[in-house]
Amino acid sequence: MKTFLKTTLTSTALVPLAFAAWAEEITIAIGHQSMCTDTYTAGIVVKELGLLEKYLPTDGEYADAEWNITWSDYSSGGPITNQMLANKLNIGVMGDYPLIVNGAKFQETDSLRSIYVAGTGYNLKGSGNAIVVPVESDIYSIDQLRGKSVSTPVGSAAWGMLLKAMQDNDMPAGEYVLKNQSPAVGAANIAAGKIDAHSDFCPWSEIMEFRGTGRKIYDGSEAGVPYLHGVVVREDFAEEYPEVVEAFLKAVIEAGEWIREDPMRAVTEMETWTGVEKEVLYLYFSKGGHLTLDPTIKAEWVDALKFDHGVLVREKAIPPLDFDAWITEDYIKAAYADMGLDYEADKAATVDPKEANAGLPAEIWHARDGVSTYETMPEFLAAVAAMQGTGAKLNATYVYDSETGLKLFGKTAFWVKAGEDYATFLRKGEAETYAASHSGEVITFDAAIADFTSEG
Amino acid sequence: MAPLTIIAGEIRQRWRHLLLWGVLFALLHQVAMFAALLLRFRAWPNYVTFYDWPGNVLHIIRSTPSVRDMVGIIREEWLIEIGRMNYDYGTGISEWSLNIMPSRLLVLCLLGAMVGLAVSLLHRTACAAPARNSLRATAGLGAFLVALTNVTMSWVVCCATPSWVVGLAMLGLGTSTSLALERSGPLLSVLGFGLLTALILYLAWRKSRPAQQSKGVPAHA
Repeated sequence: MKTFLKTTLTSTALVPLAFAAWAEEITIAIGHQSMCTDTYTAGIVVKELGLLEKYLPTDGEYADAEWNITWSDYSSGGPITNQMLANKLNIGVMGDYPLIVNGAKFQETDSLRSIYVAGTGYNLKGSGNAIVVPVESDIYSIDQLRGKSVSTPVGSAAWGMLLKAMQDNDMPAGEYVLKNQSPAVGAANIAAGKIDAHSDFCPWSEIMEFRGTGRKIYDGSEAGVPYLHGVVVREDFAEEYPEVVEAFLKAVIEAGEWIREDPMRAVTEMETWTGVEKEVLYLYFSKGGHLTLDPTIKAEWVDALKFDHGVLVREKAIPPLDFDAWITEDYIKAAYADMGLDYEADKAATVDPKEANAGLPAEIWHARDGVSTYETMPEFLAAVAAMQGTGAKLNATYVYDSETGLKLFGKTAFWVKAGEDYATFLRKGEAETYAASHSGEVITFDAAIADFTSEG
Repeated sequence: MAPLTIIAGEIRQRWRHLLLWGVLFALLHQVAMFAALLLRFRAWPNYVTFYDWPGNVLHIIRSTPSVRDMVGIIREEWLIEIGRMNYDYGTGISEWSLNIMPSRLLVLCLLGAMVGLAVSLLHRTACAAPARNSLRATAGLGAFLVALTNVTMSWVVCCATPSWVVGLAMLGLGTSTSLALERSGPLLSVLGFGLLTALILYLAWRKSRPAQQSKGVPAHA
């Protein structure tokens, strides 16, 4: 009887412990940015498609794990870093400048570290950042910003690009007025013509162009510094749950595949999740778009991040950053291997829009019929004219900058007509140069369409 | 030692008064920031978020091995966030926000109490009007410097993590000036507290001097 009682009491006492052991709750808190297109493959897409859940480990020590996954949406990367330091977020997705600040701020502490585990996407030359002027402005080049007011979100990649662009164009800080403005305030000021120019990160410039309030005068690709986004994880979390980090990166890889599979479906879905216009997102995620979805960590990215860190140290006195200790390829390599993918092949491949987009067809996004492609400009313009003639609603049209290969909205491009040929440009200056050398003339999109509009 | 005794006596005697100064100062600072944001953006806030500050602090303590790190991180914890979301873009983007942070409230409370102590000592110390004005100005400058470096206004501009100069930039301070000032934040704060401490010590020292030394000086002239 005594033994029976002892056994019963011991068993009863152990029951709660057993339950605790069976059902360990693992919290995965992720900070992302739904207003920053380049973060989508590690943010909103993974969240909405439930891709992380798909890859979370279910065996071994995780057999009885209960997952508590939380997603927090932020307007910029800075607060994500603060929340990661406070251990309220384990994983953060952000752009290059905030990433560097994240690594440096963690390394500034005695006991905490973050690690950079993967990219989300990139533009080799730096497209995504841009300088925009009000659509009616008579400013067409960066030289004309001398003595003008330019606003930017200071501390962002767009700010870094602006500083480099001004340096490259021999415009010292004293020759223009730099203002610190948030994207929403900057965009509103551009729409109201209250600021001469605004420099911002993705997708703000394209939103302004699409809404017809702003016009790009400088694209980030001119600065020639890659623009990239990535994933950082608290090191203590990664050490405790390496399989979870790996699962997250597998989700990132699949998110990229899901977008590439059907860009129009992807941007349509993403519009409902983020509120950013699908036509703007198409400019990023479609074939020939600004963004190359690639989670590998390339040597060029490390160099670009080092360059960005130099800018931040010089301008904002941020702490030093030991890149070797911060960046690790271990998790992304493991994710690739588990999925049977070739990491080294993806790492070795880089997409240069000028080469990759050469010869890509122009596109028309018909509101009802979807996207159609056209090999030549006359075919494209004739189709636009025909569709407009029937009163059809066109969501957007897309062409490519002859100079950089950058995808553009047809309506914002500078058109050059030379004989029977048409060429499109991002900047007016280059369009004029081309026109002069090809005995052509710079015309508007409407004028180009009018060439194919049959009277009566 | 006499000045310190006088200060201790003053605090003992008037601690409720000083506490009130501290609380009022901290509250006024928040109200002033809020008013500045309303004037600058000419729009009312459209959201308010309350944070579980005690819970968050406990979480930070549990998950941060170093005490030094712990203090630095807790310092940045928010209690309340009041701001304006702009829904013209995406699903909304925070246009501006005022963050009420207990750590800053504590600093401002201390600052207010020190100003209260300085004012109290000033009232009880006989000195000429010009000297009195200089002392007031010193107290004001000290308070201004500390209050300035404890601004907690924010917007999405602060990609590289928010700092006190963001608030100044929001109110129109030039970017170069704010970036230059950012690095001197801790120095300015120490300078502000230093000025107030020196002033309090000076006033207590004056008060501790024999009464005849002050004879012939027209007080409240």
